[in-house]
Amino acid sequence: MVADTGRFFRAGPAARDRIAREACTPEDILFLKEEGHVPHPCSRLERRSRQFAEAERLSWANRLDYLILVPTLRCNLSCSYCQVSRASLTSTGHDWSEATLAAVLDRIDGLETKSIKVEFQGGEPTLRLDLINAVIERCRRFERSEFVVCTNLQRLDEDVLALFSRDDVYVSTSLDGAAATHLRNRTASSTATEQFLGNLRLLIDRFGIGKVSALPTVDPRSPPEPDELIDAYAGLGFNSIFLRPINFQGFARKRHPDSREQNGEWRRYYERFVRRLIERNWVDRSVVFEETYLSVCLRRVFQPGSERHVDLRSPNPVGVDYVVIDHDGTVYPTDEARMLARSGIIDLSIGTVETGWDTPARQTLDRHSTNAMDPACRQCAYQPYCGRDVIDDIARYGTIDLPRTETEFCRKHMHLFDLIFELVYSDDPAVRHSVSRWLRLPGTPTELGVTLP
Amino acid sequence: MIPLALQSISEAEQPFVTRLRVATGTADAADSILVAEDIDGATFAGRNGLVSISGSPAAALDGDVVLVSSGVGRVERLLRAGGLEIPTNTLLVTERCDQLCLMCSQPPKKTHHDRFALLTEAALLAEPGSLIGITGGEPTLYKAQLLDMIETVLAARSDVEFHVLTNGQHFEDADVARLAGALYDRVTWGVPLYARQAALHDRIVGKKGAFDRLQDGLAVLLSAGCRVELRTVLLSSNFTALGELARYVTTRLRFVEAWSIMQLENVGYARKRWQELYLDHSADFGPIAAALDHAHLHGVEAQLFNFPLCTVPAPYRHLARPSISDWKRKFVPECSPCAARERCCGFFEWHPDDEARSGVRPL
Ligand code: SF4
Ligand code: SF4
Repeated sequence: MVADTGRFFRAGPAARDRIAREACTPEDILFLKEEGHVPHPCSRLERRSRQFAEAERLSWANRLDYLILVPTLRCNLSCSYCQVSRASLTSTGHDWSEATLAAVLDRIDGLETKSIKVEFQGGEPTLRLDLINAVIERCRRFERSEFVVCTNLQRLDEDVLALFSRDDVYVSTSLDGAAATHLRNRTASSTATEQFLGNLRLLIDRFGIGKVSALPTVDPRSPPEPDELIDAYAGLGFNSIFLRPINFQGFARKRHPDSREQNGEWRRYYERFVRRLIERNWVDRSVVFEETYLSVCLRRVFQPGSERHVDLRSPNPVGVDYVVIDHDGTVYPTDEARMLARSGIIDLSIGTVETGWDTPARQTLDRHSTNAMDPACRQCAYQPYCGRDVIDDIARYGTIDLPRTETEFCRKHMHLFDLIFELVYSDDPAVRHSVSRWLRLPGTPTELGVTLP
Repeated sequence: MIPLALQSISEAEQPFVTRLRVATGTADAADSILVAEDIDGATFAGRNGLVSISGSPAAALDGDVVLVSSGVGRVERLLRAGGLEIPTNTLLVTERCDQLCLMCSQPPKKTHHDRFALLTEAALLAEPGSLIGITGGEPTLYKAQLLDMIETVLAARSDVEFHVLTNGQHFEDADVARLAGALYDRVTWGVPLYARQAALHDRIVGKKGAFDRLQDGLAVLLSAGCRVELRTVLLSSNFTALGELARYVTTRLRFVEAWSIMQLENVGYARKRWQELYLDHSADFGPIAAALDHAHLHGVEAQLFNFPLCTVPAPYRHLARPSISDWKRKFVPECSPCAARERCCGFFEWHPDDEARSGVRPL
């Protein structure tokens, strides 16, 4: 049973029966009180702390401090599932114009925040180092800034290395598994694959593993053996693996038409993967592997506010704390929305960098960006942990007017939270070990979730 | 131990606050500049005339903000400048208190000697980026003067922060608006809570109804969005009740910035009652480990104060903070080969040597 605060307990059959019959014993009442489920009406602290705990579950996006920038759409690779419908290396009209750059810099000047995060996407953003550097230069006034360059790491010359050697610059890249898988999905030639792996190793050797994060994209029709993928990551020193199936949108949809939803097979694979991580973590306790998104969800269950994951939150307002600015200055609420527009499915742009994005389009999208009022979500135990993603619904079904439980977003999260609670209440010490590490606990408690017998 | 008070002779007829300077380059009106130094001490001159201080080389006093008594008396080094990354000092605003904790390290006195004006003057002269602790007695017995002082200093000095130790017995809902003001973003309230059971907490603090009153006080701090550091001193009486307290913290006090579990300081009342109160955590760390895990599981930042690193099991060691101020900290000879000294809190100067020496295991 889960309260609006997200605090939960497991009720055994006898307890369920007592609760249903409204025949709670004094011990039951004491348990519920101590767990914070029945605030004492005369205690100011109990009433207010209950409200506080409920409020902790809401996201509170208020000011723009996260920009996803696409300085160019051109790319030097052509991945089989490229999500952004890239442009060829030599094409023109796919880079920021002088005017777009000026408008982006103006926006940065206008931000009312002390810290900023900028992610450079593409295309291959390092093709336009000049634009990246201009943005970084303009961010000097912030107390804290963080830049992430999403790159295919095919080219690592002096200038690119100089950029990556900055302490505030991080690198994000794709690594699909062993070299053969990576080659099949992305590089198409073994020289290119070697080049990529060489560059990746060079970065890790020179700047440490903290500099780089890598994401795999997995083809759900033929996923690699969990150990193949884990070994590929472990071999480079990565502990965090974000197991994502191919996203069906964009350019990818044309080549992989059957990828609209994930089926039971994918979910079984996902679980098998997680179980394998748990086994490996138990056998060799000197390393802790995790599936990134499972850890995000797990921390949302126990530690509200510890994550700022813009894909899983409620309310999930669009165009408020982060936006995507495309190569032509068009502003999108998310990267997914940008891909939808590029692939001609639906235009979900909310404005332009020159004219702003406080537009009717944004307000329309925003109107339903919460799970608070959704009839299915209100019935769902996982509501305090879950989120809302209108763009994803539109991407998959062309509408948001669906029973939530019939959407991929819901099925995916329902499965994840089911799995999480299964793990939380597991008696297996290996499971508790991994779960405790994923929750960043110092020790391994004997009990992660409480039970009312 | 670094002395916090030194003998002095001053020309002034009233006590005054000044900042001692060895070099003249940076002087401002509140500074007293070194004019002579010999084997007996140093003499400084400022707008309040001459003051001679004995017992310390002048260089060690450079930059200190001191309170000088009139005539033959002493200088109190209110804010020491020397060498800390974040200059940290504590101002004692009153010695009166309405609780009488079993283990009080600074037993209260009946009379109050008001020095808010002088302390405000001193705080305004603090080193750049200072964190100023405020302690007592119970500072909020003089809530109006206290808040005035905090606001005056913070309004004038955007680089200064306060940490106020308070028993939380005197906040009212009427204070919410004031405490919610922007200046209070730079104030942390250190509030002790010893047990979830009202009777046990009341017994420890020596005041009936203290637990209930504290709940209301915490409700005020919560409503005002104040930054709170919760503090629990470990005693043999509350050790086994730590689990219930942890659950109370993660359900009722989720708003705290940190929960500090503190080992006892062998001074004041605790010194007299040491055998009765002291709990040797190295003999059984279990309940502390469980409380730390439970707090972190539910996203409450729990930490350990006054726990020498080698007495804490490895998985929890990173939670042990170097919490003992330099002027009252010591290490024992057995510590000399230890690689962790820099990060270790060591021992209170007054901690029994034999206990300390037998317990350490250099890392
Ligand atoms: S799992 Fe589904 S029903 Fe439950 S809150 Fe999430 S989207 Fe709503
Ligand atoms: S040996 Fe001394 S310095 Fe080292 S951890 Fe122990 S108490 Fe601290």
